[in-house]
Amino acid sequence: MRLIVNGATHDVTAPAHETLLSTLRDRLELTGTKLVCGRGECGACTVLLDGISVYACLTLTVACDEREITTIEGLAHDKTLHPVQAAFAEHDALQCGFCTPGQILAAVALLKENPNPTEDAVRRGMSGNLCRCGAYPKILRAVLAAASQDTAPDTTQDAAHD
Amino acid sequence: MTRRFVTTKVEVEGREETKIVELPSREPAPWGDDAELHVVGKSVPRMDALEKITGDARYTADMQLPRMLYAALLRAPVARGRVVSIDLSPALALDGVRGAVTSDDVPDIKLDGISLFDHTIHYAHQPIAAICADSLEIAERALRAIEVDVKLDPHVANAHDALSTDAPRIRSTGNMPRRSPRVASRGDVAAGLEAADVTITREYRTPVALHTALEPHGAVADWSGGFLTVWESTQGIFMTRADVASAFELPLSKVRVIKNYMGGGFGSKNGASHATYAACALARKLGQPVRCIFDREGEQSDAGNRPSTVQQVTLGATRDGRLTAIKLASTTVLGIGGWLSGPGKIYHEMYRCENVHTDETFVYINASPMNSFRAPGHTEGAFGLESAMDVLARELDLDPLELRRRNYADADQDKGRAYSNKRLDLCYVQGAQRFGWGRARMRKHDTVSRFRRGVGMASITWGAGGGPPAYATVRLNRDGSIEVLTGAQDLGTGARTVMAQIAAEVLGAKVDDVRTVLGDTERLPFASNSWGSITTASVGPAVRVAAEEARDALFDAAAGMMNTTRDDLESHDSEIHAKSNDQCMLFRDVCETLGDVMIMGQGSRGPNPDKTAIAAFGAQFAEVEVDTETGHVRVLRIVSAHDSGRIINPTLAESQLEGGIIQGLGYALFEERIFDEHIGMPMNPNMHDYKIPTMADVPKIDAFFVGAADTVANHVGAKGLAEPPIIGTAPAIANAVADAIGVEVGEIPLTPWRVLRALLSPQ
Repeated sequence: MRLIVNGATHDVTAPAHETLLSTLRDRLELTGTKLVCGRGECGACTVLLDGISVYACLTLTVACDEREITTIEGLAHDKTLHPVQAAFAEHDALQCGFCTPGQILAAVALLKENPNPTEDAVRRGMSGNLCRCGAYPKILRAVLAAASQDTAPDTTQDAAHD
Repeated sequence: MTRRFVTTKVEVEGREETKIVELPSREPAPWGDDAELHVVGKSVPRMDALEKITGDARYTADMQLPRMLYAALLRAPVARGRVVSIDLSPALALDGVRGAVTSDDVPDIKLDGISLFDHTIHYAHQPIAAICADSLEIAERALRAIEVDVKLDPHVANAHDALSTDAPRIRSTGNMPRRSPRVASRGDVAAGLEAADVTITREYRTPVALHTALEPHGAVADWSGGFLTVWESTQGIFMTRADVASAFELPLSKVRVIKNYMGGGFGSKNGASHATYAACALARKLGQPVRCIFDREGEQSDAGNRPSTVQQVTLGATRDGRLTAIKLASTTVLGIGGWLSGPGKIYHEMYRCENVHTDETFVYINASPMNSFRAPGHTEGAFGLESAMDVLARELDLDPLELRRRNYADADQDKGRAYSNKRLDLCYVQGAQRFGWGRARMRKHDTVSRFRRGVGMASITWGAGGGPPAYATVRLNRDGSIEVLTGAQDLGTGARTVMAQIAAEVLGAKVDDVRTVLGDTERLPFASNSWGSITTASVGPAVRVAAEEARDALFDAAAGMMNTTRDDLESHDSEIHAKSNDQCMLFRDVCETLGDVMIMGQGSRGPNPDKTAIAAFGAQFAEVEVDTETGHVRVLRIVSAHDSGRIINPTLAESQLEGGIIQGLGYALFEERIFDEHIGMPMNPNMHDYKIPTMADVPKIDAFFVGAADTVANHVGAKGLAEPPIIGTAPAIANAVADAIGVEVGEIPLTPWRVLRALLSPQ
């Protein structure tokens, strides 16, 4: 089958039970996506599948034929960080960094769906991604900062409509 | 130059040890509060953030070497018994399976008193063999093909059973460690209770809590020509090296341990684990590199834990709220092994009281061994002591904060030494102010509404002075870039950034020109495990000395080029200026001119000061809302004020405080290993049934530092800060719940059913 991972096409022969997480980490050696619980409890393996966030540990590779997958390695463009990545660095929204790739992709998906979320919406939307170091206050700040940055022009337009 | 060696005392995780230390080449004057510092004290961005946000940071679990094999551990399916036979052949016959090790193939060593892969089963999930395959999936499938015949023996599942006369003897030395019970006294508690106007006695219970580091324990081992390289997710590369070298009978020089990034430790990753030994043994046997990482069930069931406690607390006080006696009888259930991390010590340290008596019993049961977990002992003890203090305050009709202030300790009373610096009083004042404590306490208690609010607080102390030995090297390359080399670890704490800041400060360099290299036993000078909140206070002074030596060498070289003397030079932003003749040279220019002549400095950590006690302090305040219909507790906000001496990097330090508070919130509200005593098995070794906080659970946190430099502690002025915040959280929240509902729960976590039971109990 054919996977489009971070814009590059990969022809992959994987058994029917292989998870996308295994394919990414072991076959394609994209180890930025982390294995933590392996059963959809922690969010560390969050990637984007056609722009929607999914747990790679609960996604079968066979279900991804001809679909676009974005992992943490593919988020920055031409060495320019994605605004969410930049916000994570700026707000110290990480400590050990092991949950960080999943947090960032979950935030990217959240902001795509809701470009101007309230604090509560971020708290709810990000609650599927566990962080044991407890970087949550700063992750929250980073996501809100990335949102206001992303939507700065939109906000002006909204204001005009009001 | 004659080198001088002296002895000094160092406290780690509540245990004070005497260490030999070589006096450093120099002992700079302490950076006092008036020191003019440009980089230290600034929120320099975390230096490894870029690797972490791009997925480039390669953790042990991400290591892939050519021809690498994957190992998985076979774990005991029962709590106690004997492995009668293991038939590996069905597993070895599977396609892609490359080999296995059992107790016959591994070094004859003990972990927590148990032989590696012991055929005697001491606890459920104890590793008994390891199997190795071309992929993790095949290795895991192979595990299920192994046929194990086990003979069951009766197990011991709780302290009561362990200490009963007809209990099976579950360790050769008995069901208690040799030093249990541990009794510590000062003064005369009976007389103190006699003298008391008011006496209260309560019992408190704390659960087994699991570290739940997101990256599990694990290692990658690679043998090459009798030389062993180990990548390990560890808080101590040198301790891991010592463990591995000793087990495989290698000189230390033939083992290299590397840890560049790690996905959390929290006290659980201090040396070689079953995964390390399995990877090394399999790699040696098969002649290929091997990666062995605990699966999540293994991590949640056998990676250490915070042991459960029962604490019977008696406090006596005069009518005006002066403590006359503090008494504790506690039982800590260690599991099958571990060390004596009891709740007792904080009872001796926190408050001024002449009469203190703690009697701590430690018990073995057939469960996985405990390990240090962020502020071990104090976190459990603070829940008992600080809850009891609130009961006493209610008995005396005193504000809980006022009661604590009336019992302020100026000295470590057990050691008979005054504190080097103690600003807990400021923590009380500023914490209360930012929380609005006085106003919140004035609020009339609501006994009618479904949702009731309450406030609570707790005091914090933790011996976090650090100490020797710790070494660092600072060197300048020919392009003027700077490296700080030290064998410490950055668990996510920010140590990498903090060490670079100290070096940049001393050198007068741009902090961006400095890179800190950590975590490699082969390339770096010794630093101890990153535990006990000691890294900044231990390694920081060594980095400062190394940077001073390097700066002097650089200035000596530059002085010749600038026709002046070293004393005439000063530096900032990686530029050297001569005060007398207005000349200026970039570090780069000086180093380029020198070519490959190395500008290098060596530094080490000197002894701790005599006759003083060094500790970090804090005061934490919580407001909660309790749903009296469901028993659900919601924490609305937490304010936490800390004295940790000089703060090198305020943002990173704040992140540590927030993280500790959030772990404390989990401990207070939901974290608890559930153990089925009938079969001796943990019931929730996963992340769904063992709940850690999510972003949705986290309240508004205002965590800050009141302290200034502790110039007596060390010449950088820093004390530890990562562990203190977790100590106050559970008692502050529990006290707030008691304030809200008018009755104490007395046991954490404060699950809805425990809260409801307390609400329904007869008053």
